[in-house]
Amino acid sequence: MSEKPYVSVENISKWYPYKGDKLINHEKKFIKANDDINLSIQKGEILGVIGESGCGKSTLGKLLTRLETPTAGDCLINGVSTKELIKNDMKAFRRSVQIIFQNPFDTFTPRDTIEQILLRPLKNHNIGNSKEERRKLCIERLEEGGLVPGEDIMKRYPHELSGGQLQRISIIRAMLLDPEFIVADEPVSMLDVSVRAEIINMLLDLAKLHNTAVMFISHDIALTRYISDNIAVMYLGKVVEYGKADEVVNNPGHPYTKALISNCASIDPDDEREEISITGEPPTPLDPGPGCYFAPRCFMACEKCLKEYPDKKNLSDTHWITCMNAE
Amino acid sequence: MKEILRVEDLNVTYQTKSKSIYAVRNAAFTINQGDSMGVVGESGSGKSTLAMAVLRLHDEKYTEITGRAVFDEDRDLISMSQTDMDELRWKEISVVFQRAMNSLSPVHRIRQQVEDIYRIHEPKASREEIRERMISLLKLVNLPERVYDLYPHEMSGGMLQRTAIAISLLHNPKLIVFDEATTALDVVTQGQILKEIVEMEKTLNMTRIMITHDMSVVAESCNKIAVMYAGELLETGMVKDIFKKPCHPYTQGLIKSFPALKGGHHGKLTSIPGNLPDLSVSCKGCIFADRCDRAEKKCFEEKPSYKAMQNGRNVACHFAEEM
Amino acid sequence: MKNNRLTIAAQAVKSNRQLMAGCIGVLALLVLMIAAPLISTEDPTIYGPDVLNGLGENGHILGTNHLGQDVYSMIIYGVRTSVKVAVISAMISGILGVLIGGAAGFLGGKVDVIISEIINVFMMLPTFFLILLIVALFGNSLTNVMIVIGITTWPGNAKLMRAQALSLRERVFVKSAEAMGETKRQILFKYIIPNGIFPVIANTTLGMANAILTEAGLSFLGLGDPSIISWGQMIYAGKQYITSAWWICAFSGIAIIIAVLIFYMLGDGLNKVMDPRYNKRRA
Repeated sequence: MSEKPYVSVENISKWYPYKGDKLINHEKKFIKANDDINLSIQKGEILGVIGESGCGKSTLGKLLTRLETPTAGDCLINGVSTKELIKNDMKAFRRSVQIIFQNPFDTFTPRDTIEQILLRPLKNHNIGNSKEERRKLCIERLEEGGLVPGEDIMKRYPHELSGGQLQRISIIRAMLLDPEFIVADEPVSMLDVSVRAEIINMLLDLAKLHNTAVMFISHDIALTRYISDNIAVMYLGKVVEYGKADEVVNNPGHPYTKALISNCASIDPDDEREEISITGEPPTPLDPGPGCYFAPRCFMACEKCLKEYPDKKNLSDTHWITCMNAE
Repeated sequence: MKEILRVEDLNVTYQTKSKSIYAVRNAAFTINQGDSMGVVGESGSGKSTLAMAVLRLHDEKYTEITGRAVFDEDRDLISMSQTDMDELRWKEISVVFQRAMNSLSPVHRIRQQVEDIYRIHEPKASREEIRERMISLLKLVNLPERVYDLYPHEMSGGMLQRTAIAISLLHNPKLIVFDEATTALDVVTQGQILKEIVEMEKTLNMTRIMITHDMSVVAESCNKIAVMYAGELLETGMVKDIFKKPCHPYTQGLIKSFPALKGGHHGKLTSIPGNLPDLSVSCKGCIFADRCDRAEKKCFEEKPSYKAMQNGRNVACHFAEEM
Repeated sequence: MKNNRLTIAAQAVKSNRQLMAGCIGVLALLVLMIAAPLISTEDPTIYGPDVLNGLGENGHILGTNHLGQDVYSMIIYGVRTSVKVAVISAMISGILGVLIGGAAGFLGGKVDVIISEIINVFMMLPTFFLILLIVALFGNSLTNVMIVIGITTWPGNAKLMRAQALSLRERVFVKSAEAMGETKRQILFKYIIPNGIFPVIANTTLGMANAILTEAGLSFLGLGDPSIISWGQMIYAGKQYITSAWWICAFSGIAIIIAVLIFYMLGDGLNKVMDPRYNKRRA
């Protein structure tokens, strides 16, 4: 990784103040949804982020698109700080970073037609010179995305379209602004299996065509492996493992990743996997630590794990974990 | 092997003001003692409707059910009276729903709820007896004894779902239906619960129907599979056979749209183009024909009958042998 | 697609009898308003020679009052006053409520705290007393009455709109509009208000019934606009003659009841039809 990263997430944290039992306990507590996250994405690279619900993967997506303001840290795109960018030129930031949401049925306002929905951002960002030109562009993009006839789709209301169609429009709308970085937050988890693939392939093709950096957030490990170049595994607001997709899935280093993969249902009934069970339920990210956050549930935990948070350990040039016991 | 449930020519029709919706058509399958059958299908395929029909949980005012579902070799669930069915539910057939946590009362301890449920069928049971029974079941699903005295809000989603499974086993039922029972859970919790279910089955010789949209859940925890599409069972048979060599184009499509967890990439993911057909119109040919890439003229004109293949597999496709 | 919306609206009206009755009533009121000169038998502002005539006497269908005005014609012309007061004051209240409540709920933070407190203060004030005070201070023209009713009833609408905005701003389409670079003002007017306005519309329609009553109440206390024909004033003027000429009070009273009922049915019907639990198709 000698070249400079295109998108670089630097020490991003999001802490929510915890309001419970203030009367008894005056110590200020925080829910650490994201804690000191460092990641980088190259141009045209797809980074998969996996983890269970509540691990902070969606919060990370919202922080990077500034739908939430981080408590600390910054995200640089092509060397430009987005913290500065959003302060000085909000529209330029919104053009460069886009997000695709999980629920396509709620992504569009139910009162407007697809035409109104697609034309509004174009007008806002002064793309195209006339309404006719913008319309033509939208129809062209819709038809490229397999929504034929585009003229007809433009006249529809969101509730008249299927989830798959809506999610495609959502991707098309994001790509209309030519973003440099897209966050896809579980874009297919609410869709039926038979249409998932076409949405995924569309996202992949468009990202490749425009050389966009993509962060793909999902809880589906098999799907993430299929899509991503690299995978980051999150647990309680921290990245615990990062590496090439195949490396992480075939050869997981962190005990949490091992447990996650061993418990993931596989489509192949003959698939033999290492049996690893972890005890307990995922705890809340309320003031975790000081040791490794996973230590209370870890099958490899030792005395030291409970005392200090482990440092990053390289397993290979492209693969690191935060665990002191794994070899 | 003893037959637990034999469904023959089951049809479920919903009546609305303006039209009838044929939600399940000509469903037929057999489950033997000790079997675990996964019913997979996408949303709107009628998989839940099928299970609800067998359990007779539909509002009978708006639903018409025809056909037979022979339970335990002698009793027909469809023609049975509701009172007889009430007697059967929980005791011999039980069900676990997707959000079982919502079916537990938040203001009562698990203990109180279990006692109430248990006494519906065994009014004379003593507290100690119920406690003993429930605690042995909690052990089966890997929960500590103290759960018995907790309130639902003191437990996590995974624990609640396990408790619900334990409660469904109270009377040692002959058949359990899991309706998307692990869908809302996390990967790790789902994986563990599936393993526990499979373990439990070995000890209890339980029979199970698993309704899910996730092929990998079936691959992981069942020995039989029924693939459902738009109200029809397109392919039924053993999990091992069907995942190795699916014979119906729809099953093939479904399997191809799941990426594999391990091994090399098997090329680009593919999807099945098109949308579900309108269920209020009866279909002359094969229900899947308009989305099928190998459909011929025959497929649109003539409904394929089930073709019996080896190992008890049934495929509703004109070209099943050629696949 | 407009067509599509119209058919949905027509179906909604058909599905609820109350709404249907309300709609027919409002149409009837509109006809009376426009065609008042044709339907009435005399000009109600003319003080005729027939004073305190009974029913049907000298061609006065509902008799005359102490100044010789025709009661029937006064009631017909009174529709104009009542509907005007109802619509304009409810509009003022609705627009204020939507804007203030929408902004409070959507922007949140300090803005929300301050506006919520103002709403609470307004809700605690005895409204009718406040109206009396303002009319007494600034004179009793009809315009004043309408404005006063409008600005004393907005907090109810604002509360409703604020609650809507609070839940809408967490919806994905609002987040996605933000991510597409739309400004706060655009989001408020294009997403929050259009999607959250229905309960406010229903509430405003109910408010129209109240506005008619308030105006009648003010007139009854002698604080109405004396240069205008209104039902409240008819009762006010007629109450001295209630023993000798009961018809003056009675028919104007009935007119008030009918008008209030019509707006009430319209409002309540709208409320039910627009409630998502009532109408699942729109979910």
